[in-house]
Amino acid sequence: MDTKSMNLLMRVGAAAAVLSLAACASPEKTPATAAVAVSHNAVENAVSAGAPELAPAEINAARDKMMRANQALAARDYKTARELAVQAQADAKLAQSKANSAKATAAADALNEDLRVLRQEVDRANSDQH
Amino acid sequence: MKLNFLKAIVLAATVALAACSTVPTTTPTLDEARADFVAANNNPQVATYAPMEFKQAGEALDRANQAAAKRGSLDTIDRLAYVAKQRIATAQEVAKSKAAEAEVANASRQRDRVQLEARTAEADRARRDASAAQAQAQDAQAQAAAAQQQAAQQADRASRLEALLVELHAQKTDRGMVVTIGDVLFATDRAELNANGMATVRKLAEIMMQNPDRTVMVEGFTDSTGSAAHNKDLSERRAASVAQALASLGVPRERIGMRGYGEAFPVASNDTASNRQLNRRVEIVLSNEGATIPPRAAQR
Repeated sequence: MDTKSMNLLMRVGAAAAVLSLAACASPEKTPATAAVAVSHNAVENAVSAGAPELAPAEINAARDKMMRANQALAARDYKTARELAVQAQADAKLAQSKANSAKATAAADALNEDLRVLRQEVDRANSDQH
Repeated sequence: MKLNFLKAIVLAATVALAACSTVPTTTPTLDEARADFVAANNNPQVATYAPMEFKQAGEALDRANQAAAKRGSLDTIDRLAYVAKQRIATAQEVAKSKAAEAEVANASRQRDRVQLEARTAEADRARRDASAAQAQAQDAQAQAAAAQQQAAQQADRASRLEALLVELHAQKTDRGMVVTIGDVLFATDRAELNANGMATVRKLAEIMMQNPDRTVMVEGFTDSTGSAAHNKDLSERRAASVAQALASLGVPRERIGMRGYGEAFPVASNDTASNRQLNRRVEIVLSNEGATIPPRAAQR
């Protein structure tokens, strides 16, 4: 066998290998994996926003669905994995926005209370001097 | 048997009709999502603060509605409705959060304003207090100065009065200071004052002008020579002459009292010429400050 025929044989082999790999991969695998990754990020963002303390029900739902999505991914049930990931993402986003609104509301309440006390003090100071 | 067959046909037709009926498919979750969507749509904060989130929630609900319209499996409808529901809730929470943040910003501004007002009021107060204290201090200073001036004037007047009274040989009595104008200051047996008499009266007038709270009682006396009527008349005329002289020097008449006692109240026995001369006199009683002159005690 000369070098040329060797080269051709290798090319055909490589093409066959690529084809067989492509045949093995499901067309749903990539989007499902991406969806799970996005949901994973959403859960992490929610956790760093304080969701475990401020929106425990939502973040627990998100984590539970994430776990099941990962299990489905491992079982190559890509459709289920994607569906669960989408729901987990919705849960995680709700958890995050709930945590944020709880914090903002608390800050507004605290500031309004400060303002009330301050006004009271000013009124007292103004009425004391006479 | 035949009847049963008929029954079966009717039943089958009913089932077929039910399948064809256009009652839309729905699930409790989808119903909830729709109700939540209406509520969010009615919340003006959502439109203001979370338009993007609300739009995505609407799209999710559309997908669930489409699945329901296409008679998708209840499972699929539920799954899509659940996602829509969570997104609607997310839009509500985002709106709430942004509204709270706006409130924080607003409250901060208000707090700054109130603090500024408080500081301004405090500064105003301090300034008012300071100027009031300053005015008070100036007032006190002015009062002290005035008091000092008054005291100095009084001291001056007192020392001047004392000096004049010494010059006039005034004597202190219960009724006041008594200045005696002797016979030698009058023309003989007449009421007119001579130059020395006028000099004495001038000093008295000066005392009267400087001490507006004092009054005088001018009292005339004679010796026992001559008739009582003549003596009374002479004593009255001499007293009047002195009173007139004081008035002519500017002493108001209402501060001058006068009386002639004739030969009464002698200061010496009338047995020698020099003693009689002592009895011929005018006594001027100067009242104490602000006091009236008590009347002369009854004849001794």
